[in-house]
Amino acid sequence: MSGGFNEIHPEPTTFISKYLISFDHKVIAKQFLWMGIIFLGLGGMMALLIRWTLAYPGVPFPLLGGMLFPDSAGVVPPDVYATLFTMHGTVMIFYAITPILIGAFGNYCIPLMIGARDMAFPMLNMLSFWFAALSGLFVFISLLLPLGSAAGGWTSYPTLSTMIGSPGLGQTFWCVAIFLFGISSTMGAVNYVTTVITLRAPGMGYFDMPLTVWGLWLTAILNAIFVPVLGAGVILLILDRVFGTTFFLAGASATSGSGDPVLFQHVFWIFGHPEVYILILPAWGIVSDLLSFFARKPAFGAKATALSMTAVSVLSTVVYGHHMFTTQMSPLLTQSFMTLTMTISITSAIFFANWLGTIWKGSIRFDSPMLFSLGVVFVFGLGGLTGLHLGTVTTDLYLHDTYFVVGHFHYTMAASVLLGGFAGIYFWFPKMFGRMMNETLAKIHFWGTMIPLNGIFFGMLMVGYGGMHRRIYNPFVYESLQRLIPINTMITWSAILMGAFQIIFVFNFLWSLKKGPKASQNPWEVGTLEWTIPSPPVHHNYDVIPVVKCGPHEFGNPNLKNGRDFQYQTEELVQG
Amino acid sequence: MGLLQLGVSQSWWQLSMPPKDISTNGHLIDHLWNYTTMLCIFYFILVCIGLFGFSFLYSRKRNKTPYYTYGNKKKHLLVTAIIGAAVFLTIDLNITRISNNDLLNQFWKWPDPKTEKVMRVEVMAQQWMWSFRYAGPDQEFNTADDVVTNNDLRVPVNTKVLFHLTSKDVIHSFFVPNVRLKVDTIPGRVTRVWWEVNTPGKYDIACAEMCGTHHYLMKAQLTVLTEEDFNRWLATSEQLALNTNDPDDKNLAWGWKWEN
Repeated sequence: MSGGFNEIHPEPTTFISKYLISFDHKVIAKQFLWMGIIFLGLGGMMALLIRWTLAYPGVPFPLLGGMLFPDSAGVVPPDVYATLFTMHGTVMIFYAITPILIGAFGNYCIPLMIGARDMAFPMLNMLSFWFAALSGLFVFISLLLPLGSAAGGWTSYPTLSTMIGSPGLGQTFWCVAIFLFGISSTMGAVNYVTTVITLRAPGMGYFDMPLTVWGLWLTAILNAIFVPVLGAGVILLILDRVFGTTFFLAGASATSGSGDPVLFQHVFWIFGHPEVYILILPAWGIVSDLLSFFARKPAFGAKATALSMTAVSVLSTVVYGHHMFTTQMSPLLTQSFMTLTMTISITSAIFFANWLGTIWKGSIRFDSPMLFSLGVVFVFGLGGLTGLHLGTVTTDLYLHDTYFVVGHFHYTMAASVLLGGFAGIYFWFPKMFGRMMNETLAKIHFWGTMIPLNGIFFGMLMVGYGGMHRRIYNPFVYESLQRLIPINTMITWSAILMGAFQIIFVFNFLWSLKKGPKASQNPWEVGTLEWTIPSPPVHHNYDVIPVVKCGPHEFGNPNLKNGRDFQYQTEELVQG
Repeated sequence: MGLLQLGVSQSWWQLSMPPKDISTNGHLIDHLWNYTTMLCIFYFILVCIGLFGFSFLYSRKRNKTPYYTYGNKKKHLLVTAIIGAAVFLTIDLNITRISNNDLLNQFWKWPDPKTEKVMRVEVMAQQWMWSFRYAGPDQEFNTADDVVTNNDLRVPVNTKVLFHLTSKDVIHSFFVPNVRLKVDTIPGRVTRVWWEVNTPGKYDIACAEMCGTHHYLMKAQLTVLTEEDFNRWLATSEQLALNTNDPDDKNLAWGWKWEN
């Protein structure tokens, strides 16, 4: 399918065209990766401030507290606390996970894995990054505004997010940032979808694509359809805030006409539920591939996995109402959303069957990308199953807006995606930068992340079931919640421990960039297209566009005679 | 160090149990939670057996030659299909059915003040307090004899209580952990919830929806009284209301005409 797009672009010569306004998908991927890692650090710091407050309300934050909050003697004040959990969610979802999983891996892997020389629209790709960066700048500025940044939760429900509840400029900046981010995501998504459809190497059918590309492609489709919906929602919110319209206003404060705040929730969650799949699909794809690569065995039921990912993408668009059971929608809608939500179990069960089927009777190499992938299977198991309690209306009546929800979505969206992202970084680092990361440090990083991570998020499930609700500055003003202090303390110390272990990752990443041993062309002995070219690849990726002759997971074929246990996608499938 | 406290996990398990159920149908929610959790634990154990078992059995050291299969043989597809179907049939269909029955037979079976004895209360949420309104002797809301309380809800034991709720400013959520119920209060809308409680005592009412800086302080007290105690309190309060309520005070007239 190589169309007329696939010509060799001239190599950039100046610093600006090479590193800043680069059209090269590999450079843009690295730009997104750096952006994501920086924001991941920021979001992580916010998480620590939140956790400290929940375990030790009224106690100054150690070391940095006095500098950050001089007016309250180092204690996080309640209004700052609201900003912190709002921006923690916003930063992690839009400025950490999205740039790393979609921006970095999407840009890096899609062209290389389908045998293309660049994205279909390189300039759009460049704009996509710079719009994301501009959007990130708005987030930074909003933190410095007089009344602080947005503080109504990352969902920004009106009427709290209108002038009635948030008079500060921060909320408007938040809306503008999200809108700009939406432009960036839409441009990226259109590009990914087109690239996958038009620029696959000759011979590569859709089911010959690695599952990573499947995940990223489906993510891009969902992004292209649903991010504009969020864009529309925040535009209406901006109109309400700045131009005096009343789309979302109602009640005593809506003096100039009345709209409906619940309308925003519908608009938000029509986007918001696909969004959680937008975030997790790339991780599912990466994990599905890596389990096969390191078990040295074809991906079990790869076609079923790809089709299940497609099915779950479709289903994700019709289940959003389960976020709104407590708003009392019509009973028919409530029942329908509950039933539709439950069907997602079938596709999830197929993923698990296929993942475990892949490692069954394999010859597993426990390199760091594999450890992180196995970690994803574990945490996504917990995250997925706890979704059942929340998809059921009656149990949700109790659990809605408690820490049970927080634990659940952190297991699925944060833990699974974070571990999947680390798996991807450890796996593609040699291709991206031409050097190997230190394997011992990577393994320490894995265990140092995995164990405290479960302490944090399982602890959240526990306090949530115990009745502790979300977004409260000091839970212990409720006498009935004081019994949960020890569990909250455990969660906080787990978070601090997990944060500390990320320093090992940052050190390993930076050190390996400069001092890591040179990577060979194919250090993991994998047959997908990106491993047929040097590490790092040349500017135009492929001197000759490869011709694909077999699938991406050809491992352990007993007919292989040349001493290898895998074959490249460019080789004819060896028959007996 | 928090991690060292893991040794007392037995008591942690008890600590994380939800507060005492004081309602006639809260046990339905607890039952469904337990049922779902048991099945989740069962399937999660299966995942762990696969994950850790296969990792142990089929490591590079123990198993040199992997089994070359795409997993698309008939028996493979059959096993995958059985797993998918088993999960859907045992968990999803069951919990959906149970939950739907509970909704239709209990939580959505709205008591009708015309045909049975129902205590009616109007609730208004605002940043950051709860206000409750009882109809008073004339059984009409928003009249001068209404009993209005702030952050202090008193209800009789063993009586159905029907709440109509709204919000003045932003969205709040009326959350009573001891009866396992929660409903959003939304400006411009009236939502409703009913319960019947069976244990006198004092309990927490919380706001569960982020509603601004002092969201965490938006709590009220629920006092469940015996029938006699409640009637005595209500009679005194009605008298007090008639004596002190100012009919011209617009702020006091936040109630609305009750519609079923």
